[in-house]
Amino acid sequence: MTSLETHLTEDERQSFADDTMSPEQRASAEAHLAACRSCADDVARLTTLMTRIRETPAPSPTVALDDLWPTIRARIEQSKVVSLPADAPAVRRLSPRVWWFGSIGGVAAAVLIGMAVMRGRPTGPGDAVGPGTTPNAGEPSLIAVVDSAHAYEQEARILLDKLELRRAMLRPETAEALAHDLHVVDVAIAELKEAVARDPNNPALRRLLATSYRQKVDLLKRVSNAS
Amino acid sequence: MSARVHGSTDVIATTDDAGGIDDVVRRAQRGDVEAFESLYRTHAAAIYALCRRMTGDEGESRDLVQDVFVRAWERLTSFRGQSSLGTWLHRLGVNVVLERIRSTKRDAARLIEGDDSTFGSHSSAPAIDASIDLDAALVHLPRGARTVFVLHDIEGYSHDEIALMTGIAAGTARAQLWRARRALMRMLDP
Repeated sequence: MTSLETHLTEDERQSFADDTMSPEQRASAEAHLAACRSCADDVARLTTLMTRIRETPAPSPTVALDDLWPTIRARIEQSKVVSLPADAPAVRRLSPRVWWFGSIGGVAAAVLIGMAVMRGRPTGPGDAVGPGTTPNAGEPSLIAVVDSAHAYEQEARILLDKLELRRAMLRPETAEALAHDLHVVDVAIAELKEAVARDPNNPALRRLLATSYRQKVDLLKRVSNAS
Repeated sequence: MSARVHGSTDVIATTDDAGGIDDVVRRAQRGDVEAFESLYRTHAAAIYALCRRMTGDEGESRDLVQDVFVRAWERLTSFRGQSSLGTWLHRLGVNVVLERIRSTKRDAARLIEGDDSTFGSHSSAPAIDASIDLDAALVHLPRGARTVFVLHDIEGYSHDEIALMTGIAAGTARAQLWRARRALMRMLDP
Protein backbone atom coordinates (compact mmCIF):
# COMPACT_ATOMS: atom_id res chain seq x y z
CA MET A 1 0.00 0.00 0.00
CA THR A 2 1.44 3.33 -1.01
CA SER A 3 1.07 6.60 0.77
CA LEU A 4 1.88 10.15 -0.09
CA GLU A 5 4.68 10.21 2.50
CA THR A 6 6.50 7.03 1.52
CA HIS A 7 8.17 6.58 -1.88
CA LEU A 8 7.00 3.80 -4.12
CA THR A 9 8.89 0.55 -3.73
CA GLU A 10 10.86 -0.91 -6.61
CA ASP A 11 8.12 -3.50 -7.04
CA GLU A 12 5.50 -0.77 -7.30
CA ARG A 13 7.51 1.32 -9.75
CA GLN A 14 8.23 -1.61 -12.02
CA SER A 15 4.68 -2.93 -11.83
CA PHE A 16 3.28 0.51 -12.58
CA ALA A 17 5.54 0.85 -15.60
CA ASP A 18 4.68 -2.52 -17.08
CA ASP A 19 1.01 -2.16 -16.21
CA THR A 20 0.69 -5.24 -14.03
CA MET A 21 -0.83 -3.53 -10.99
CA SER A 22 -4.37 -4.16 -9.85
CA PRO A 23 -6.74 -1.19 -10.40
CA GLU A 24 -6.71 -0.43 -6.69
CA GLN A 25 -2.94 -0.50 -6.45
CA ARG A 26 -2.65 1.60 -9.55
CA ALA A 27 -5.03 4.27 -8.21
CA SER A 28 -3.02 4.49 -5.02
CA ALA A 29 0.27 4.71 -6.94
CA GLU A 30 -1.12 7.42 -9.21
CA ALA A 31 -2.06 9.46 -6.18
CA HIS A 32 1.51 9.24 -4.92
CA LEU A 33 3.03 9.99 -8.30
CA ALA A 34 0.93 13.12 -8.60
CA ALA A 35 2.58 14.44 -5.44
CA CYS A 36 6.12 13.00 -5.70
CA ARG A 37 8.39 14.32 -8.43
CA SER A 38 11.15 11.82 -7.67
CA CYS A 39 8.98 8.75 -8.08
CA ALA A 40 7.16 10.26 -11.06
CA ASP A 41 10.42 10.92 -12.92
CA ASP A 42 11.65 7.41 -12.25
CA VAL A 43 8.42 5.76 -13.33
CA ALA A 44 8.37 7.95 -16.44
CA ARG A 45 11.81 6.68 -17.41
CA LEU A 46 10.75 3.10 -16.85
CA THR A 47 7.61 3.67 -18.88
CA THR A 48 9.68 5.16 -21.69
CA LEU A 49 11.82 2.03 -21.67
CA MET A 50 8.71 -0.15 -21.87
CA THR A 51 7.48 1.84 -24.86
CA ARG A 52 10.85 1.58 -26.53
CA ILE A 53 10.86 -2.17 -26.04
CA ARG A 54 7.43 -2.51 -27.62
CA GLU A 55 8.37 -0.38 -30.61
CA THR A 56 11.74 -1.91 -31.35
CA PRO A 57 11.56 -4.13 -34.43
CA ALA A 58 12.94 -7.65 -34.27
CA PRO A 59 16.64 -7.91 -35.17
CA SER A 60 17.45 -9.06 -38.68
CA PRO A 61 20.40 -11.24 -39.64
CA THR A 62 23.21 -9.65 -41.62
CA VAL A 63 23.41 -12.75 -43.81
CA ALA A 64 20.31 -14.34 -45.30
CA LEU A 65 18.88 -17.20 -43.28
CA ASP A 66 18.26 -19.09 -46.51
CA ASP A 67 21.94 -20.01 -46.37
CA LEU A 68 21.25 -22.15 -43.32
CA TRP A 69 18.75 -24.39 -45.04
CA PRO A 70 21.22 -26.75 -46.79
CA THR A 71 22.84 -27.54 -43.47
CA ILE A 72 19.50 -28.04 -41.76
CA ARG A 73 18.37 -30.31 -44.58
CA ALA A 74 21.58 -32.30 -44.37
CA ARG A 75 21.07 -32.78 -40.65
CA ILE A 76 17.49 -33.83 -41.24
CA GLU A 77 18.54 -36.38 -43.82
CA GLN A 78 21.21 -37.65 -41.47
CA SER A 79 18.67 -38.04 -38.71
CA LYS A 80 16.63 -40.21 -41.06
CA VAL A 81 19.67 -42.40 -41.58
CA VAL A 82 20.61 -42.87 -37.97
CA SER A 83 17.05 -43.55 -36.91
CA LEU A 84 16.98 -46.76 -38.95
CA PRO A 85 16.94 -49.91 -36.81
CA ALA A 86 20.42 -51.42 -36.77
CA ASP A 87 19.57 -54.78 -38.31
CA ALA A 88 16.89 -53.73 -40.82
CA PRO A 89 15.97 -57.41 -41.40
CA ALA A 90 13.14 -56.69 -43.82
CA VAL A 91 15.53 -55.06 -46.22
CA ARG A 92 18.14 -57.76 -45.94
CA ARG A 93 15.68 -60.50 -46.84
CA LEU A 94 14.97 -58.99 -50.24
CA SER A 95 16.69 -60.56 -53.22
CA PRO A 96 19.82 -58.79 -54.43
CA ARG A 97 18.24 -58.01 -57.76
CA VAL A 98 15.21 -56.19 -56.48
CA TRP A 99 15.97 -55.18 -52.93
CA TRP A 100 16.61 -51.54 -53.58
CA PHE A 101 14.06 -50.92 -56.27
CA GLY A 102 10.84 -52.21 -54.82
CA SER A 103 9.65 -49.22 -52.92
CA ILE A 104 12.24 -46.57 -53.48
CA GLY A 105 10.47 -43.31 -53.96
CA GLY A 106 13.18 -40.77 -53.41
CA VAL A 107 16.14 -39.69 -51.44
CA ALA A 108 14.96 -40.94 -48.08
CA ALA A 109 14.41 -44.49 -49.22
CA ALA A 110 17.67 -44.59 -51.09
CA VAL A 111 19.57 -43.27 -48.13
CA LEU A 112 17.87 -45.56 -45.65
CA ILE A 113 18.28 -48.71 -47.67
CA GLY A 114 21.83 -47.79 -48.53
CA MET A 115 22.64 -47.44 -44.88
CA ALA A 116 20.88 -50.67 -44.01
CA VAL A 117 22.91 -52.63 -46.52
CA MET A 118 26.11 -50.93 -45.49
CA ARG A 119 25.82 -52.03 -41.89
CA GLY A 120 28.17 -54.85 -41.14
CA ARG A 121 29.74 -54.80 -44.57
CA PRO A 122 33.33 -53.97 -45.41
CA THR A 123 33.69 -50.27 -46.02
CA GLY A 124 34.82 -48.55 -49.17
CA PRO A 125 38.23 -47.17 -50.09
CA GLY A 126 39.63 -44.68 -47.65
CA ASP A 127 36.58 -45.16 -45.55
CA ALA A 128 37.37 -43.29 -42.39
CA VAL A 129 33.93 -43.42 -40.82
CA GLY A 130 32.35 -46.81 -40.50
CA PRO A 131 28.58 -47.01 -40.93
CA GLY A 132 27.98 -47.81 -37.31
CA THR A 133 30.00 -44.86 -36.16
CA THR A 134 28.57 -42.24 -38.44
CA PRO A 135 26.82 -40.13 -35.84
CA ASN A 136 29.73 -39.94 -33.43
CA ALA A 137 32.84 -40.00 -35.53
CA GLY A 138 35.77 -38.11 -34.13
CA GLU A 139 37.49 -35.16 -35.70
CA PRO A 140 40.63 -36.98 -36.97
CA SER A 141 38.53 -39.33 -39.08
CA LEU A 142 36.52 -36.45 -40.44
CA ILE A 143 39.60 -35.08 -42.08
CA ALA A 144 40.10 -38.47 -43.68
CA VAL A 145 36.49 -38.46 -44.79
CA VAL A 146 37.09 -35.39 -46.90
CA ASP A 147 40.34 -36.81 -48.19
CA SER A 148 38.59 -40.01 -49.18
CA ALA A 149 36.08 -38.26 -51.43
CA HIS A 150 38.38 -38.52 -54.40
CA ALA A 151 38.81 -42.26 -53.83
CA TYR A 152 35.06 -42.75 -53.70
CA GLU A 153 34.57 -40.85 -56.91
CA GLN A 154 37.19 -42.96 -58.63
CA GLU A 155 35.60 -46.19 -57.49
CA ALA A 156 32.17 -44.97 -58.53
CA ARG A 157 33.48 -44.18 -62.00
CA ILE A 158 35.00 -47.66 -62.34
CA LEU A 159 31.76 -49.29 -61.23
CA LEU A 160 29.73 -47.15 -63.61
CA ASP A 161 32.00 -48.16 -66.48
CA LYS A 162 31.53 -51.82 -65.61
CA LEU A 163 27.80 -51.37 -65.29
CA GLU A 164 27.61 -49.68 -68.65
CA LEU A 165 29.02 -52.81 -70.22
CA ARG A 166 26.29 -54.87 -68.57
CA ARG A 167 23.45 -52.46 -69.07
CA ALA A 168 21.90 -54.61 -71.75
CA MET A 169 21.48 -57.36 -69.19
CA LEU A 170 19.36 -55.19 -66.95
CA ARG A 171 15.59 -55.21 -67.20
CA PRO A 172 14.29 -51.87 -68.48
CA GLU A 173 12.52 -51.03 -65.24
CA THR A 174 15.68 -51.88 -63.32
CA ALA A 175 17.78 -49.62 -65.50
CA GLU A 176 15.28 -46.83 -65.16
CA ALA A 177 15.17 -47.17 -61.40
CA LEU A 178 18.94 -47.26 -61.25
CA ALA A 179 19.22 -44.07 -63.27
CA HIS A 180 16.69 -42.36 -61.05
CA ASP A 181 18.30 -43.36 -57.80
CA LEU A 182 21.78 -42.52 -58.96
CA HIS A 183 20.46 -39.10 -59.90
CA VAL A 184 18.96 -38.66 -56.45
CA VAL A 185 22.21 -39.62 -54.74
CA ASP A 186 24.24 -37.42 -57.08
CA VAL A 187 22.00 -34.44 -56.33
CA ALA A 188 22.42 -35.09 -52.62
CA ILE A 189 26.20 -35.31 -53.01
CA ALA A 190 26.29 -32.10 -55.03
CA GLU A 191 24.24 -30.25 -52.42
CA LEU A 192 26.38 -31.57 -49.62
CA LYS A 193 29.59 -30.61 -51.39
CA GLU A 194 28.26 -27.10 -51.72
CA ALA A 195 27.26 -27.04 -48.09
CA VAL A 196 30.68 -28.33 -47.00
CA ALA A 197 32.34 -25.67 -49.13
CA ARG A 198 30.31 -23.03 -47.32
CA ASP A 199 30.79 -24.55 -43.90
CA PRO A 200 33.98 -26.62 -44.04
CA ASN A 201 34.21 -27.04 -40.28
CA ASN A 202 30.81 -28.62 -39.89
CA PRO A 203 31.43 -32.27 -38.91
CA ALA A 204 27.83 -33.32 -39.47
CA LEU A 205 27.95 -32.18 -43.07
CA ARG A 206 31.21 -33.96 -43.73
CA ARG A 207 29.94 -37.17 -42.19
CA LEU A 208 26.83 -37.04 -44.31
CA LEU A 209 28.87 -36.39 -47.44
CA ALA A 210 31.01 -39.43 -46.71
CA THR A 211 27.87 -41.49 -46.09
CA SER A 212 26.39 -40.38 -49.40
CA TYR A 213 29.52 -41.36 -51.25
CA ARG A 214 29.45 -44.79 -49.65
CA GLN A 215 25.80 -45.21 -50.56
CA LYS A 216 26.48 -44.46 -54.19
CA VAL A 217 29.35 -46.92 -54.35
CA ASP A 218 27.32 -49.57 -52.59
CA LEU A 219 24.36 -49.12 -54.92
CA LEU A 220 26.63 -49.56 -57.90
CA LYS A 221 28.24 -52.64 -56.39
CA ARG A 222 24.86 -54.17 -55.72
CA VAL A 223 23.61 -53.63 -59.23
CA SER A 224 26.86 -54.88 -60.71
CA ASN A 225 26.66 -58.06 -58.69
CA ALA A 226 22.99 -58.55 -59.46
CA SER A 227 23.50 -58.13 -63.19
CA MET B 1 3.33 -6.26 -20.09
CA SER B 2 0.85 -7.39 -22.63
CA ALA B 3 2.21 -6.11 -25.92
CA ARG B 4 3.50 -9.39 -27.27
CA VAL B 5 2.59 -12.83 -26.25
CA HIS B 6 4.97 -15.69 -26.96
CA GLY B 7 6.20 -14.40 -30.25
CA SER B 8 8.19 -11.39 -31.19
CA THR B 9 6.87 -10.78 -34.67
CA ASP B 10 3.54 -10.46 -36.37
CA VAL B 11 4.57 -13.17 -38.80
CA ILE B 12 4.04 -15.76 -36.12
CA ALA B 13 0.51 -14.66 -35.46
CA THR B 14 -0.66 -14.44 -39.05
CA THR B 15 0.86 -17.28 -41.00
CA ASP B 16 -0.80 -20.19 -39.29
CA ASP B 17 -4.27 -21.38 -38.86
CA ALA B 18 -4.40 -21.69 -35.09
CA GLY B 19 -7.57 -23.73 -35.33
CA GLY B 20 -5.98 -26.68 -37.07
CA ILE B 21 -3.06 -28.04 -39.03
CA ASP B 22 -2.71 -26.74 -42.54
CA ASP B 23 -1.70 -28.82 -45.52
CA VAL B 24 1.95 -27.76 -45.55
CA VAL B 25 2.39 -28.77 -41.93
CA ARG B 26 0.65 -32.08 -42.54
CA ARG B 27 2.94 -32.83 -45.45
CA ALA B 28 5.97 -31.95 -43.37
CA GLN B 29 4.70 -34.23 -40.61
CA ARG B 30 4.57 -37.04 -43.16
CA GLY B 31 8.25 -36.49 -43.99
CA ASP B 32 8.01 -34.06 -46.89
CA VAL B 33 11.25 -32.11 -46.62
CA GLU B 34 10.17 -29.57 -49.24
CA ALA B 35 7.11 -28.75 -47.17
CA PHE B 36 9.30 -28.38 -44.12
CA GLU B 37 11.57 -26.07 -46.08
CA SER B 38 8.55 -23.89 -46.75
CA LEU B 39 7.84 -23.77 -43.01
CA TYR B 40 11.47 -22.89 -42.39
CA ARG B 41 11.33 -19.98 -44.79
CA THR B 42 8.17 -18.69 -43.13
CA HIS B 43 9.36 -18.91 -39.53
CA ALA B 44 13.16 -18.67 -39.63
CA ALA B 45 13.28 -14.90 -39.18
CA ALA B 46 11.13 -14.98 -36.04
CA ILE B 47 13.16 -17.80 -34.54
CA TYR B 48 16.37 -15.99 -35.41
CA ALA B 49 15.12 -12.85 -33.66
CA LEU B 50 14.32 -14.86 -30.55
CA CYS B 51 17.73 -16.53 -30.53
CA ARG B 52 19.56 -13.31 -31.29
CA ARG B 53 17.96 -11.46 -28.42
CA MET B 54 18.45 -14.29 -25.97
CA THR B 55 22.11 -14.84 -26.87
CA GLY B 56 23.19 -11.43 -28.11
CA ASP B 57 25.41 -13.13 -30.67
CA GLU B 58 24.69 -13.49 -34.37
CA GLY B 59 26.88 -16.53 -34.97
CA GLU B 60 25.46 -18.41 -32.02
CA SER B 61 21.98 -17.41 -33.09
CA ARG B 62 22.49 -18.91 -36.55
CA ASP B 63 23.68 -22.14 -34.95
CA LEU B 64 20.65 -22.14 -32.72
CA VAL B 65 18.27 -21.54 -35.62
CA GLN B 66 19.62 -24.73 -37.15
CA ASP B 67 19.19 -26.61 -33.90
CA VAL B 68 15.64 -25.34 -33.47
CA PHE B 69 14.53 -26.46 -36.90
CA VAL B 70 16.26 -29.82 -36.68
CA ARG B 71 14.49 -30.33 -33.36
CA ALA B 72 11.24 -29.15 -34.91
CA TRP B 73 11.61 -31.72 -37.68
CA GLU B 74 12.22 -34.45 -35.13
CA ARG B 75 9.20 -33.49 -33.06
CA LEU B 76 6.83 -32.20 -35.69
CA THR B 77 4.55 -35.19 -35.38
CA SER B 78 3.82 -34.12 -31.81
CA PHE B 79 2.35 -30.83 -33.07
CA ARG B 80 -1.42 -31.19 -32.82
CA GLY B 81 -2.51 -27.76 -33.94
CA GLN B 82 -3.70 -26.70 -30.50
CA SER B 83 -1.73 -23.49 -30.97
CA SER B 84 -0.32 -21.94 -34.10
CA LEU B 85 2.80 -23.56 -35.49
CA GLY B 86 4.59 -20.28 -34.86
CA THR B 87 3.77 -20.44 -31.17
CA TRP B 88 4.81 -24.08 -31.02
CA LEU B 89 8.08 -23.34 -32.79
CA HIS B 90 8.65 -20.37 -30.55
CA ARG B 91 8.33 -22.38 -27.37
CA LEU B 92 10.59 -25.04 -28.87
CA GLY B 93 13.09 -22.31 -29.69
CA VAL B 94 13.07 -21.00 -26.13
CA ASN B 95 13.76 -24.49 -24.84
CA VAL B 96 16.62 -25.03 -27.27
CA VAL B 97 18.22 -21.73 -26.29
CA LEU B 98 17.80 -22.44 -22.58
CA GLU B 99 19.36 -25.86 -23.04
CA ARG B 100 22.33 -24.18 -24.69
CA ILE B 101 22.61 -21.78 -21.79
CA ARG B 102 22.41 -24.58 -19.25
CA SER B 103 25.12 -26.47 -21.06
CA THR B 104 27.57 -23.72 -20.16
CA LYS B 105 28.33 -23.96 -16.49
CA ARG B 106 29.25 -20.35 -16.03
CA ASP B 107 26.05 -19.13 -17.61
CA ALA B 108 23.99 -21.69 -15.76
CA ALA B 109 25.35 -20.38 -12.50
CA ARG B 110 24.44 -16.89 -13.50
CA LEU B 111 20.97 -17.95 -14.43
CA ILE B 112 20.40 -19.54 -11.07
CA GLU B 113 22.27 -17.26 -8.75
CA GLY B 114 21.64 -13.93 -10.35
CA ASP B 115 24.34 -11.95 -12.02
CA ASP B 116 27.98 -11.21 -11.63
CA SER B 117 28.94 -9.02 -8.77
CA THR B 118 29.33 -5.88 -10.84
CA PHE B 119 26.03 -6.07 -12.67
CA GLY B 120 23.82 -3.22 -11.69
CA SER B 121 26.59 -0.82 -10.90
CA HIS B 122 27.02 2.20 -13.09
CA SER B 123 30.54 1.13 -14.00
CA SER B 124 29.48 -2.23 -15.42
CA ALA B 125 26.80 -0.86 -17.67
CA PRO B 126 28.56 1.04 -20.41
CA ALA B 127 26.88 4.22 -21.49
CA ILE B 128 25.66 3.64 -25.02
CA ASP B 129 25.07 6.29 -27.59
CA ALA B 130 21.41 7.11 -27.84
CA SER B 131 21.40 6.07 -31.49
CA ILE B 132 22.30 2.50 -30.57
CA ASP B 133 19.26 0.34 -30.35
CA LEU B 134 17.84 -1.90 -27.70
CA ASP B 135 19.43 -5.01 -29.16
CA ALA B 136 22.89 -3.47 -28.93
CA ALA B 137 22.24 -2.65 -25.29
CA LEU B 138 20.98 -6.16 -24.57
CA VAL B 139 24.39 -7.57 -25.47
CA HIS B 140 25.82 -5.86 -22.39
CA LEU B 141 23.48 -7.60 -19.98
CA PRO B 142 24.60 -10.78 -18.26
CA ARG B 143 23.06 -13.73 -19.99
CA GLY B 144 20.74 -14.66 -17.16
CA ALA B 145 19.28 -11.18 -16.86
CA ARG B 146 19.03 -10.91 -20.62
CA THR B 147 17.19 -14.21 -20.80
CA VAL B 148 14.60 -13.17 -18.25
CA PHE B 149 14.21 -9.73 -19.79
CA VAL B 150 13.70 -11.11 -23.30
CA LEU B 151 11.28 -13.79 -22.17
CA HIS B 152 9.19 -11.37 -20.11
CA ASP B 153 9.35 -7.97 -21.73
CA ILE B 154 9.79 -8.99 -25.36
CA GLU B 155 8.27 -12.42 -25.67
CA GLY B 156 5.50 -11.96 -23.14
CA TYR B 157 6.01 -14.92 -20.82
CA SER B 158 4.87 -14.55 -17.22
CA HIS B 159 7.25 -14.85 -14.28
CA ASP B 160 5.70 -18.20 -13.40
CA GLU B 161 6.25 -19.50 -16.94
CA ILE B 162 9.81 -18.22 -16.89
CA ALA B 163 10.39 -19.92 -13.56
CA LEU B 164 9.18 -23.21 -15.02
CA MET B 165 11.29 -22.90 -18.14
CA THR B 166 14.50 -21.77 -16.49
CA GLY B 167 14.32 -23.54 -13.14
CA ILE B 168 14.75 -20.34 -11.14
CA ALA B 169 12.24 -19.03 -8.62
CA ALA B 170 9.63 -16.60 -9.87
CA GLY B 171 10.89 -14.05 -7.36
CA THR B 172 14.41 -14.40 -8.70
CA ALA B 173 13.14 -13.95 -12.22
CA ARG B 174 11.34 -10.80 -11.14
CA ALA B 175 14.46 -9.40 -9.49
CA GLN B 176 16.54 -10.21 -12.58
CA LEU B 177 14.02 -8.42 -14.74
CA TRP B 178 14.07 -5.29 -12.64
CA ARG B 179 17.83 -5.17 -12.62
CA ALA B 180 17.95 -5.73 -16.36
CA ARG B 181 15.53 -2.85 -16.94
CA ARG B 182 17.55 -0.57 -14.70
CA ALA B 183 20.75 -1.44 -16.53
CA LEU B 184 19.09 -0.84 -19.88
CA MET B 185 17.77 2.51 -18.69
CA ARG B 186 21.27 3.59 -17.81
CA MET B 187 22.61 2.44 -21.15
CA LEU B 188 19.86 3.82 -23.35
CA ASP B 189 19.06 6.98 -21.41
CA PRO B 190 22.22 7.86 -19.48
